[in-house]
Amino acid sequence: MADREPVIGIDLGTTNSVVASMQDGTPTVIRNRGSSNLTPSVVALSKTGKMLVGQIAKRQAITNPTDTVYAAKRLIGRKFSSAQAQDAMKVLPYTMVAGEHDDVRVQLGEKKYAVAELSAMVLRELKADAEAFFGTSVRKAVITVPAYFNDGQRQATKDAGRIAGLEVLRIINEPTAAALAYGFGKSVNGKVAVFDLGGGTFDVSVLDVSSGVFDVIATGGDTYLGGEDFDNRVIEWLVFDFAKENGVDLRKDRMALQRLKDAAEKAKIELSGAKEAQVNLPFISSPAGGGAALHLQRTLTRDKLEELCGDLVAKTISICEQVLDEAKVKPTDLKEMILVGGMTRMPKVVEAVKQFFRRDPCKGVHPDEVVALGAAVQADALTNADSEVVLLDVTPQSLGVAVAGGFVRKLIPKNTTVPTSVTEVFNTSKDEQSTVKIMVLQGEAEVAHHNELLGEFILTGLRKAKRGEVEIDVTFDINSEGIVSVSAKDRETGLQQSIQVTASGGLTEDELRRILDEQADMLLEARSGEELTAKKNELKALMAEVEELLPKLEQSTQGSEFGKDAAIKARAALDSARNADEGLLLAKVIESIDVMTRTIGLFKGVLDRIK
Amino acid sequence: MAEGETVDIPQERQAEILALEAKLKATHFEVLGLAPGATSEEVRSAFHALSRKFHPDRFHGRQLGSFKGKIDAVFKRLIEANNVLTDAEKRQKYLDENPGLRGSAGGAGAPSAAPAVKTADEEARDAERRARFARHPYLARASRTQEHITKAKAHIAKHEYSHAFSLLNIAAQMDPQNAEVKALLNDVRKKNDSQRSETDLKRAEELVSQGNDDLALQALRAAVNANASNHEAAYKAALILERKGADVREITGYAQKAVDAAPGRVEYRVLLGRLLDAAGMKALAKKHFEEALRLGPDHPDVKKHVKKRWPF
Repeated sequence: MADREPVIGIDLGTTNSVVASMQDGTPTVIRNRGSSNLTPSVVALSKTGKMLVGQIAKRQAITNPTDTVYAAKRLIGRKFSSAQAQDAMKVLPYTMVAGEHDDVRVQLGEKKYAVAELSAMVLRELKADAEAFFGTSVRKAVITVPAYFNDGQRQATKDAGRIAGLEVLRIINEPTAAALAYGFGKSVNGKVAVFDLGGGTFDVSVLDVSSGVFDVIATGGDTYLGGEDFDNRVIEWLVFDFAKENGVDLRKDRMALQRLKDAAEKAKIELSGAKEAQVNLPFISSPAGGGAALHLQRTLTRDKLEELCGDLVAKTISICEQVLDEAKVKPTDLKEMILVGGMTRMPKVVEAVKQFFRRDPCKGVHPDEVVALGAAVQADALTNADSEVVLLDVTPQSLGVAVAGGFVRKLIPKNTTVPTSVTEVFNTSKDEQSTVKIMVLQGEAEVAHHNELLGEFILTGLRKAKRGEVEIDVTFDINSEGIVSVSAKDRETGLQQSIQVTASGGLTEDELRRILDEQADMLLEARSGEELTAKKNELKALMAEVEELLPKLEQSTQGSEFGKDAAIKARAALDSARNADEGLLLAKVIESIDVMTRTIGLFKGVLDRIK
Repeated sequence: MAEGETVDIPQERQAEILALEAKLKATHFEVLGLAPGATSEEVRSAFHALSRKFHPDRFHGRQLGSFKGKIDAVFKRLIEANNVLTDAEKRQKYLDENPGLRGSAGGAGAPSAAPAVKTADEEARDAERRARFARHPYLARASRTQEHITKAKAHIAKHEYSHAFSLLNIAAQMDPQNAEVKALLNDVRKKNDSQRSETDLKRAEELVSQGNDDLALQALRAAVNANASNHEAAYKAALILERKGADVREITGYAQKAVDAAPGRVEYRVLLGRLLDAAGMKALAKKHFEEALRLGPDHPDVKKHVKKRWPF
């Protein structure tokens, strides 16, 4: 077994990354060549034009703020125009520019780097550390991402692995990895919750663990909530008071901002152990017109920090509530509660978690290392036939297709165990429609353009018919590697089209909305039972109203040609509405609703005039 | 299995996969190798055991040939069965559609007619077998229901209604058709509610004496919710609400409840009358004041509020 090719697990974190591997049946962290377990996820271009990665890059950040990239994870797979990237731009000292597909690029010196490229540099460093440890080349890895990463972010992370020369066996969720590491080799039996508050992201997962089987029941989180946000609160506080006293906005000075960031993070960490921390930044600013340099000196108390960040902590708890609810689990049903991520060292976080889960969190795991260890467990499970571990993972977000009216029809709800496949029947939404466009969306929003577009394709050559008459089977399939394929099939002709979803071209919300508007004529119509029933009820109510008004109208327009004519037309409309009500076609029902509404309007108008 | 195909799966596992593939159309219970009516716990553990063998990850990176599709189909089917049978709602719906799969407590497993003569040895073995049968989860259900009922009755005798209630609730879940359980449950629910209501009222009285109006109000609300005819609780709630200057409609609501539950109490009538009077509903107010006057002309509340305002 010792001859087996080594496989590694990598926790590619927002602030720090860790690599681990299975050693003699135990997951173990591999130290980097600087003999530290953690490698800062920092990349920099030095003044001499050399690329620096890890600790060495972090160390020179203060003197080289604009060419030092940290927190790249917050940008990976994001669109440049997204609110998150735009927000990040305000606090990050390096320069971000838009790429061709509205992706984020980072300007270092003369060159623009894709975020995946920068992450790849960190991964390459970790790969080299592992190779130094094993003394042989390492090619295969499992990489973790926050559970709430969407498909685009996962694909971008996979790309980073590929750029770094790694075959990414699987992308797994961080909280799941933590549970794997926690439950590995123990005879745990029961439900376990993982609370993972890291540098940039927050995740909660609930798993059902039974001797080697790790069954994820529900997962949720926020990809933009983590230690960096806590730091930013402290920075804001420092900057605001400094501006009040000295009239200088330190955020405009990139070097000052970098020093503030370091100081804020340091003070925050200190306050996990102490009640007070000093922030001391001499010569933080020198006035433009000369004169004495300004110094920043403040005392940050734990109470103040908790006050500044209270809402962030509250947000994590409300997400916990939601996820437990989705898992149909009460805090008291849980066997164990695992804390992961550096931020879970903050006393306020521990206190809030304790209060919500009504138990002390498990102390047996190392919050910084547990994720990488879990990745190593999964890497071993995938390559070692003797492994006892099986991971039953779920889809973190819902998947569906865009339907007429700008809505989403969800085919695979979030927290569905993979692999899975679902088929649903759709109808054409327009008369004579010979083409349908299948737009695959990911997210929880009802309105189509608020979701992420994963991919799209067209099915042509449909029989020309009235709307709603042509039926199309749409099938979603997710395999155990999390790869989504979608196919559409014309029931009559057997014509079929399909795609395997890969990273999207990077469309903005506006673009997506525009495209959806333009293609409104080509969308599908959901033949959802609920919708049909609802519309039928609406139609029935309208029909009853017409039936009630009809005799009144006949009475008041007695004898007149107009009255007779209107009554005949209304009767015909009622007949066709009855037909629609008995049929199954949503389009027909909606059409009749239109007719009934117009008839009622007409009747009321006539009756009003006569009165 | 396609001829001449190299598949990197042990022979016996291949056979198991083919056997499961043949069962794709079977019931959710059969697919998981369970008897109809298996509990959601049993389903989960069967599903986990099968996952250990047939999850596609177990075959990661191997040459699978035609088995790739088979494994996927089999595992998706296992997930589907597990999803339906472990989700209370979906399971109920499935069982409603397939009533034959409910699994029954009695009948199926009754031992066949005994032979005429039995040796002592056989007798002992039978007894042991019967005991084992009774312990079996399906058969045990009936006896456990009975056990719960007996225990519940003991609690009822001791006026421990909340214990009795939860036991009967479990019994009702195990055997929803049992008429005795239903009747007892109904009775105990009422008694339990009124007992809880009384306890809440006592707690509220204590809290009021400690000056904690807010918590007292909470307790009183709970008391009225548990037992709408707890007039004392309703009356006290109305008084506290009035003191706090709460929404008149809410105060009046509680006062009305108190009067409804105990129409003969003078002070309730006076309070309701006062509230209605203040809200401008003079005629209604008058009715209650008159009733109060008739019920207790010498009652201090009547003297204080009614006689002063209503000079008749």
